Amino acid sequence: MNIATFIIKNTWRNKRRAALTSLSVAVSLFLLTTLLTALRELTVPPEDVGASLRIAVRNKISLANTLPAKQRGNIQKIPGVALVSPLTFFGGRFKEDDGIGFAQFGLDADLLIGIFGEANLPPEQFDAFKKDRRACLVGRDSATRHGMKIGDRITVKGGIYPCDLDLILAGIYYGTIDDRNLYFHHTFLDEAMGNWGQVGTWWVKVKSAEQVPEVIRAINATFANTSAEVLAETERSFQLGFISMLGNVTAFIGVLSSVVVFTLALVTTSTMSLTIRERFRELAILKALGFKNGEIAAFILAESFMLSAAGALLGVGGGWLLYSKMSVSQATAGIFPFFEVTPQIAGAGCFVAVILSLISAVPPIISACQLTVVDGLKTLD
Amino acid sequence: MVSIRDLSKVFYRGGQPVQALDNISLDIPSGEFLVLMGPSGSGKSTLMHLIAGMERATQGTCEVHGVDVAKLDESSLADWRSRNVGFVFQTFNLIPVLTALENVEMPLLLTKLSPARRREMAEAALDLVGLSDRAAHLPKQLSGGQEQRVAIARAIVTDPLLIVADEPTGNLDAHSAQEVLELLQALSHEPGKTIIMVTHDPKAAAYGSRVLHLEKGSLVAC
Repeated sequence: MNIATFIIKNTWRNKRRAALTSLSVAVSLFLLTTLLTALRELTVPPEDVGASLRIAVRNKISLANTLPAKQRGNIQKIPGVALVSPLTFFGGRFKEDDGIGFAQFGLDADLLIGIFGEANLPPEQFDAFKKDRRACLVGRDSATRHGMKIGDRITVKGGIYPCDLDLILAGIYYGTIDDRNLYFHHTFLDEAMGNWGQVGTWWVKVKSAEQVPEVIRAINATFANTSAEVLAETERSFQLGFISMLGNVTAFIGVLSSVVVFTLALVTTSTMSLTIRERFRELAILKALGFKNGEIAAFILAESFMLSAAGALLGVGGGWLLYSKMSVSQATAGIFPFFEVTPQIAGAGCFVAVILSLISAVPPIISACQLTVVDGLKTLD
Repeated sequence: MVSIRDLSKVFYRGGQPVQALDNISLDIPSGEFLVLMGPSGSGKSTLMHLIAGMERATQGTCEVHGVDVAKLDESSLADWRSRNVGFVFQTFNLIPVLTALENVEMPLLLTKLSPARRREMAEAALDLVGLSDRAAHLPKQLSGGQEQRVAIARAIVTDPLLIVADEPTGNLDAHSAQEVLELLQALSHEPGKTIIMVTHDPKAAAYGSRVLHLEKGSLVAC
């Protein structure tokens, strides 16, 4: 026998309690891991490789205000600009979709791949999309969810705009950061709106990453003091602008995470205190045999750490395993296209477990160290 | 071996002082099997605890092999106990999750001995108390007498010069009690070993080489 054997045997002496304690730690850490992952997915949206070259241009007043279509030529002329396409959020409703379905965007069909090049789409489907102005592309997630097939007629009822779109599915793409959206010809929307001469936003592809700051500055300067001033920003900034609309959701998740950790600390501290209090007599025997306060404290700390470690393994490891195997995108109807438990999040979960083991060991260590041999021996079993 | 001079111990219960030991002076030579008797609250257990370094005296000296136990700090006292004292308690006080062999090996974890040597010594101690065949049993799988013999094996495994036994037969039937007392008596015949036993039982006291009576914290003549 050695010290490790002694600690392990002590930790699991009351198997049911140890298992329930570890399980409560595991459930809490699983919840914490889930919350931290959700927070990360909300605040650090995923980016594809082309994101660093893309600039979003919107009306400076607000995203809800459109921009004149005639701006396109001016943007195209700016040095460093490779491609420019309108991108207008249609905001329509497909069938009786409950509102968490998929977004529809009108864009320049010829430039789809040029700007948003990461989509995987068979060339013949892309050709079919380009050739027919009624054609549309749908992401694989939405196509699967709604059982769409190539050639299907897709009607999207207008929400923001006073018109409906009667489209034909020409292709199903996949491999982007969000395989849910529907893309259609902007010209089709123009016609449906009676050639209104407006676009929602401009999306610009810049020739090189080094030119992005200069192109942003030039676009903003070009339309300064016009009737439609613009705000050009990187795709990343544009996405973070959306996230800021979530307001206190991130704060709410932060508070929820803190409550989870605090509750967990109370549970583990209470359990450890109870466990050690029941063994005062044994601790007194150990002291009588010559074990010192430091060694007794180390035993208690090791037991606490083992319970927390088992909980962390189950909770954090289980979370990682679960989210890496299941389709969170499907389970959340696409609200979270990705749900990755990163090494940092797993590390944070394990760190919390270590801190918990320290916190929960402190009160029983203090009690054990204050215990005298004689007082301990008087304790009833 | 044990030299006690003017030893006193005062407890405070509810703020009121209680004189547990009052100016005790006593010499216990090596090899003696000393029995302490007396009514409850007479101070016999307190005296034994002070000699074994489990408690601190309020005043006086208690030298064991030339070391004044009362002057050692907590850490030194723990080291001293691990090297010099073996404990046997009325309620056996074995660690329930450890086997008989592991319980006996427990005090050796404080030494620098190799695991193999520790095991060898624990097996030898168990053999000495006649429980080699129960080495792998947990305390709950042993009878009271066997548990107490395991406790005695744990007390002697480090080969201490002083063994203190607090009512070692209090929870045993007559047959087991006799076995335990014979074992303690045999140990007292080993060179240099001193045994101090607290008991209420005159039959148990008969195994000792000297019997001292305490009453109200003082030694009394019988």
